[in-house]
Amino acid sequence: MLKSTIVDARVRLVPSKKMLDFLEAQKEHFQQVTENVAKVMKQKGLTLPVSTKIIKDNEVVTKRPKIDQALLKKITENIANTPKKPVNDKPDFSEKDDEENEETTEQPKNVLYLSDLHWLSSTLVELRSRDHCQVFLHQLIESCELILPENEMKPRNPELEARCQRLRAEQHNRDYLKMTKNVDAGLKNYPEDTISYQIKSLNKQIIAVVQFIFSVAAGFTFGFFGVNLMVGPLPFGFRILLGVIVALIIALAEMYFLAKKLHEYDEVLDAPKRKPQQPTPVKRKVVAQPPAEGSQVQKLKPHAD
Amino acid sequence: MTAGITEKETAGQLLDDLYLDMFHLIEEHTQCRINLERSNASGAILLARTRFQHGGSNSVSTAQIPTENSAEFNALCRVVDSGDGISIQRQAVDKSKGFVEPLHWFSVLPPMSLRNAVSKFKDCIELVAESTNLQRQLVDALNWIAKLRQTALLN
Repeated sequence: MLKSTIVDARVRLVPSKKMLDFLEAQKEHFQQVTENVAKVMKQKGLTLPVSTKIIKDNEVVTKRPKIDQALLKKITENIANTPKKPVNDKPDFSEKDDEENEETTEQPKNVLYLSDLHWLSSTLVELRSRDHCQVFLHQLIESCELILPENEMKPRNPELEARCQRLRAEQHNRDYLKMTKNVDAGLKNYPEDTISYQIKSLNKQIIAVVQFIFSVAAGFTFGFFGVNLMVGPLPFGFRILLGVIVALIIALAEMYFLAKKLHEYDEVLDAPKRKPQQPTPVKRKVVAQPPAEGSQVQKLKPHAD
Repeated sequence: MTAGITEKETAGQLLDDLYLDMFHLIEEHTQCRINLERSNASGAILLARTRFQHGGSNSVSTAQIPTENSAEFNALCRVVDSGDGISIQRQAVDKSKGFVEPLHWFSVLPPMSLRNAVSKFKDCIELVAESTNLQRQLVDALNWIAKLRQTALLN
């Protein structure tokens, strides 16, 4: 299972019975209601009075409230800094349970968002100032269930998983073969160990080096003789200088390619020379019955095992 | 009695505000984490692309990072913890004062994808600092809520 990115970073709140009851009881005092709250109420079978205006979510002011730190300190100053005992947040657990049983399918829709809570907060301030009720937001939401944004779990693509495993197995196999190459007698006679192979690769390197020497020599010859032939007689010292300069330029360029080539040879030598599709057990079988494959392995002596 | 009611009113209002603040902080913190994840992922992809394009002998690898035996250098980026949260302080590259450019460990002319990856990872550090600040504020808010709920005024 893989975690995917959180798509919806909003905090959601499942309205409790208490909150719905409150909304029902106070609904004729609301001047306006957010879209989402109206939807939730409608789904719960509660109707709003016709005069209530439904406003869009983005019309609600959702600014972070300014906390009056001084007042906060004043109120809490006489509270000892005791280790907090867990606050019992589940007074109506049974109530929630049967609510969930009723509508597990539509539960994700029946949630309040931050804008709704802001609306509720400002509405409650208004209601309190007009003496309709003495309810606070925290009293309403303490029985609600808070849904935090969570990562979705995604199962890994089985195809990818299979491929990864195959590649990993191949890699391990290759490592193992490289490691045991000079220990296991059964694996010794492989192409890279025969004399012809070694001479061949040696030849390749020698050819590369000889090519380098030749091109440098040709560059020097051009500088020494060619320029002299083209632009009349030149002093001897100047001709040598010209030849050395041309040879140096060619040597520099050639050196780069030579280094690259030789490095490639090294890598080729490092990599084991066999087909990737044949895992070790097959090799074992080949060792057990040499005539079956009919290649270099045939040269194995029977007691090598 | 009226004094008691107004006090209760302010305390309740304060707790409401704290709760709203907490919700805001949770959302912002989550958003910050998402941005961090995105920016880190794209940085990693760019790094992988650099390694892929420059495979072979001159690839970008951990072997090019200085070890304990290398010459010493100063950190380009420091975390400063001031009164209101932590912040990231960056130094300009100045070889004479020991501030070396880390990109030059890998090659003298770093490829474009590696440069982009560096800027993404730099963003990541900023986001981590921001996320830490938000998390601190969130913990503070939660502590205040717990404390305020113990007051006798609310019951």
